[in-house]
Amino acid sequence: MAEEPQTVLQLPPSSAAGGEGLTDVSPETTTPEPPSSAAVSPGTEEPAGDTKKKIDILLKAVGDTPIMKTKKWAVERTRTIQGLIDFIKKFLKLVASEQLFIYVNQSFAPSPDQEVGTLYECFGSDGKLVLHYCKSQAWG
Amino acid sequence: MEEDEFIGEKTFQRHCAEFIKHSQQIGDSWEWRPSKDCSDGYMCKIHFQIKNGSVMSHLGASTHGQTCLPMEEAFELPLDDCEVIETAAASEVIKYEYHVLYSCSYQVPVLYFRASFLDGRPLTLKDIWEGVHECYKTRLLQGPWDTITQQEHPILGQPFFVLHPCKTNEFMTPVLKNSQKINKNVNYITSWLSIVGPVVGLNLPLSYAKATSQDERNVD
Repeated sequence: MAEEPQTVLQLPPSSAAGGEGLTDVSPETTTPEPPSSAAVSPGTEEPAGDTKKKIDILLKAVGDTPIMKTKKWAVERTRTIQGLIDFIKKFLKLVASEQLFIYVNQSFAPSPDQEVGTLYECFGSDGKLVLHYCKSQAWG
Repeated sequence: MEEDEFIGEKTFQRHCAEFIKHSQQIGDSWEWRPSKDCSDGYMCKIHFQIKNGSVMSHLGASTHGQTCLPMEEAFELPLDDCEVIETAAASEVIKYEYHVLYSCSYQVPVLYFRASFLDGRPLTLKDIWEGVHECYKTRLLQGPWDTITQQEHPILGQPFFVLHPCKTNEFMTPVLKNSQKINKNVNYITSWLSIVGPVVGLNLPLSYAKATSQDERNVD
């Protein structure tokens, strides 16, 4: 089902996005350094017959956290929250002392080892999982 | 600059009660323990874990100091259950006791915990630091004494480890403000514990996240 590959960003996009509305920015200006296999893996997997291997995630910033230019991502179900956190931190160029938190339902932080596929099953709607992210100094 | 969101002790107790109600529904074994004069109290849970096993660190790399593990490699490694079984035989079971108390001085909840092997040997502060989940290690190593220290339990008077509360407002405020904007009721304890718990091996089941929103829909 290759509907519109440009609506969901699979990787540093090779296909021109052409301003579909769901990705906010055209490929050339999106990522300075393509985070190659962080939350998104090279699009070599074929979408399986029944279960999609990837799920759509919509990232929303909370508070003063910088907003990601690309908000919609296709992510493998087995990616952990920790993997996603690392990806967003790199994308936003946060320093190591800054902690990034991800929330489902806007208020609950899943544990770092939680897989996004499970979160999608529990909290996804309209074909996507909405995750809020917030940067903070965490402890001390 | 947003005003910090503090909670009063009564609110703390109310949110704990709601939290425990859900805990009872799913058999998560949190309970409320009143202090001797019943003026206050705390939430408590006992929990067993295998040291260096599956629960605390999925990379199982805490012994290898791989804080600079390239992300590519991390994703190539699937969660390998066989590795976990091998290490389980050589490692030991640890009993964790988590307490959630209210801090009047910080006006936030605080997580106290202690850990011991089944033979009663307590874990040291160093053991605890080493057991912190990989993803929090960097921050911990920058200031271990600011993060997890050992203190006297305010009610029991025994030594416990404490996750320092002074930055709690910093990470709670944006979340609470954000939820307020959309008139969503948030259980402070649930949110807070979901954030701090994983640092010390305490992971809340996902159903807690749904419990809050269900309360909104079914206003009894």
